[in-house]
Order: sequence, then structure tokens, then C-alpha cells
Amino acid sequence: MMEKIEGINIFRSAKKEGQSFQILEDISFSAQQGEIVCILGPSGCGKSTLLRIMGGFDLPDRGSVLRDGTEVTKPSSDAILIFQDFNQLLPWKTVIENVIYPLSINRIGNTKKEREAAAVRYLNMAGLNDSFHSYPHQLSGGMKQKAALARALVLTPSILLMDEPFGSLDALTRKNLQVLLEDIWRETGVTIVFVTHDVQEAIILGDKIIIMDKNPGRILNEVPNNLERPRDIGSPGFIELYDRIYSMLQRGSDQ
Amino acid sequence: MKIRKILWIVLLLAAWQGIAVSGRFSPLIFPSLGMISQSLVNSLLNGELVRETVFSIVLILEGLIIGMLLAAVMSIASITSKWLRDLIETVTALAHPLPGIALLPIIILWLGTGRSSVVFIIVHSVVWPLLLNITAGFKATPRIYRDTAQNFGVRGIDMFKDVYVPASLPFLISGLKIAWARSWRALISAEMIFGAVGGKGGLGWYIFKQRVFMDTAGMFSALFIIILIGIIVEEIVFEKFEAATIRKWGMAIYDGEN
Repeated sequence: MMEKIEGINIFRSAKKEGQSFQILEDISFSAQQGEIVCILGPSGCGKSTLLRIMGGFDLPDRGSVLRDGTEVTKPSSDAILIFQDFNQLLPWKTVIENVIYPLSINRIGNTKKEREAAAVRYLNMAGLNDSFHSYPHQLSGGMKQKAALARALVLTPSILLMDEPFGSLDALTRKNLQVLLEDIWRETGVTIVFVTHDVQEAIILGDKIIIMDKNPGRILNEVPNNLERPRDIGSPGFIELYDRIYSMLQRGSDQ
Repeated sequence: MKIRKILWIVLLLAAWQGIAVSGRFSPLIFPSLGMISQSLVNSLLNGELVRETVFSIVLILEGLIIGMLLAAVMSIASITSKWLRDLIETVTALAHPLPGIALLPIIILWLGTGRSSVVFIIVHSVVWPLLLNITAGFKATPRIYRDTAQNFGVRGIDMFKDVYVPASLPFLISGLKIAWARSWRALISAEMIFGAVGGKGGLGWYIFKQRVFMDTAGMFSALFIIILIGIIVEEIVFEKFEAATIRKWGMAIYDGEN
């Protein structure tokens, strides 16, 4: 299988109160075509920065990110970033206008009707069947994230970069969205890099779980996850894997 | 307007009338509501107040439109180049604290006392607060909007009109409100000084002129017109615009309800 997205020896530092400190230290990883790779780590381990670098929003000090073998230097509509922040939709556009906007900017679809139909299709895929003409501030957090997901999918990107997208949702909504994302992934074959600090979420979604540590942000371990999908806490092997990953994270934070 | 506010207006008017009829002050100094409305009706009917009002409003609109165009051009220039941004920020810092009225003698020297001088003063009092608010709005545009738009391939002019302008609309609206208030101040002061020399006077000149005739009720009727226009613009024009935009989008800093 071919490397869909790959990071090679990435270093990145930042300045805080005049002092330079290392956010990311020698990070290498890869995700294959159609894989879900979860990046798991505590707050402040640089996982969001790493995702921004993968998306071409920030550049590494050293090292590089390759997408389909080509170096990433700027954002592209082939790799869409989805944030944790509920306010990523444009508030002055209705839900459906938000999803149509990427299409009209890229001149996809010949008529307004065509674009609308495409938007509805992806909104349905993302689990939204009504509220198309509501404004984002009228939606619940879960609906906003579904709309953001639909907007990300409408350009049929080959990679989704997800920065704790379900992190601010209540447990039940989060579970629903995890199931939904897995369905979308199966239907579209999109490659997903999913950042989270939730061990359970990483096990439910990831084909591979990259475990990070903080100060400086570096990779502790890479754990393949072959549990049968769909997974939940009751799945055979789930608890064992959970304990293994949890103790890796513990050891990291004890050092 | 809320009932409570209307009630307060009625009470304040009653207090005014109470003082006027108490006989404590001469009607020449403190006219009753009846005298003011009488004067208002008369000057509206004979057309004088209507002409002056139209004259003033045309000047205000001219100044506002020119000021908005200038502010738009300068704010676009300031995001396209760092050099231009520094130039514009420097000029704004120098010019913004200058009251328009302080420029009057120089403007008279340069442009004379015609209507173009009044428009100049209005433009000056309007353009800097507008510019400051628009650029503050651009700076306050959340990074997440820019990031997501950039991710979808939005660039250049599209980024400007589809992201920066709507995102900074709350700032633009408060800039417009300040500009509107400032333009009236500039207009009235300029008219009071220029009116004596120029042909048509406007509301500022009207008020000034009525003082010479000791027509206190006439002065108040012109003030009433200014207040009325202010309320109409604030409560109807801005109100409708905000309801159709930033309040509908959940972007208003203050939503008008407590």
C-alpha cells in the first residue's frame, strides 16, 4: 500500500514569553490510503500543531510532510482540517450555504441546483436531515460538527485532518458521531488523521494509534489496532488494549 | 422602543411643561411645549425648516458617502501592503484626534466658505473612526474562518469579500454609528460658522439665526428636528440593518435585550 500522508523527522519550536521551547521533536509517522490514524496524547503535547503542519497551515522548522509523495507547503482542498471549535462554520451563512460555499468557490457543479443537491447529499451523509436553512448559532454543538463534517466532505478530499472534533460534545453525541464517522469512512474510503486525548475514542476509531508525550512533544509509541469493527468497550480485546495504551501514557507522564 | 422608554419621554416632556407654565422663567428663555410646537408647525408649513433640513441631510449624506468610500479604499490598501498600512495608521493617528472644528479656519483659507468646506469637515470627522473600526474588525476576524476558507481554496478578493467583510460587520456598524453622530456635530458647527457668509444655511445656521431674533421656540423646534432624525436613523435604519444581519447571524456583541 502507498503512503498517503507521511511526516519525516518533524521539529517545531515556538516562543513563549521570550523563551524558545520545543513543541515537536523528531516526529515521524505515516498513514496509508484509507487508514484511520489516531494521534493520542495529553493536552499540550503538540498534537494540534502537528495536525496544522500536516495540513500545510504551519511549516515545520525541520523535516517535512509528504502527501502522495509530494511535499506539503500550503493548505489544499484535498486535505481538509476539521476543528474542535464549534464556531468553524461561517455564521453569516445558513447550514446549506456553508456547505455550498466550497463548491461555488471551486466552480464545482454547473447550476445552483446541482450544488444544492450535492450539499444535501453530504449533509445527509453527515447525519443532518433538517435545519438546512438555520444559521449556525441556532444549532447544537453536535449539529454544528455534523455540518462542518458535511462541508469538509463536499469537496471529496482524500484526507480528513480532525483536531479533537468531538472533544466538546457530551458523551452520547460523541458516541453517535464516532459511529457516523466510521460509516462515512467506510463509504468514502477517505484517509483520516484523528487527534484526540481520549483513549477510548482512539481505540474505537484508529487502525493505528500514535501515542505522544509532552515537553517536548514526541512519539512514545505506535500501536496497531486490529480489533474488529465496529468496536466498543465490550469488544473482545478492548479492555486489554485500553490498559496497555493507558499504561504507556502513564509511563510517559511519570518521566 | 420599549414602553418604559416612551414613558420616560412623556415624563420628561411633562416636567418641561411644568417648569414652563410655572412662570419661574420668561417664555423668551424657556418656551412651553405649545410655543415650540407652534413654531415647529409654522416653520414646517412655510417651508423654511424643511429646506434647511433637506440642505443639511444632503450635506451629511455626501460627507458620509465620501467618507465611507475613502475608508473602504484605505482599509483595503492597508491589508494589501505593510508599507501602506503603516502610512495609513500613521496618518490616522495624527488626524483622528483633531476636532473638525479646529480645522475650520484653515479650511476657510483653502476652500473658502462654500458647501465643499462643510463636506470636507464632515468627511474628516467621519473617515477616521470608520477606518479605525474597519481595520479593528479585520484584525478581530477569527483565525478559524480564515483557516477553513483557505483550506477550501478561497484567495485574494474572495477572502476579502466573503470572509473579512462579513466577519467585521459588527465593527463596521458601530463605526457607522460613531460616524453618523460625529457627522452631525461637524455639520452643525460648520453651518453655524459658515452660514453667516454662505448662501443657504442648513439647520446649524437656522438655530444660530433664530437666536438673533430671540426666537427661542424656533431654536428648540430645530433641535427637535435633529433629535427626531437621530432617533429615526438609530431606531429604524440601524435597527433594521442589524436585525437583518448581525443579530440574525448571532454575531451581535449586544443583542438589544436584557
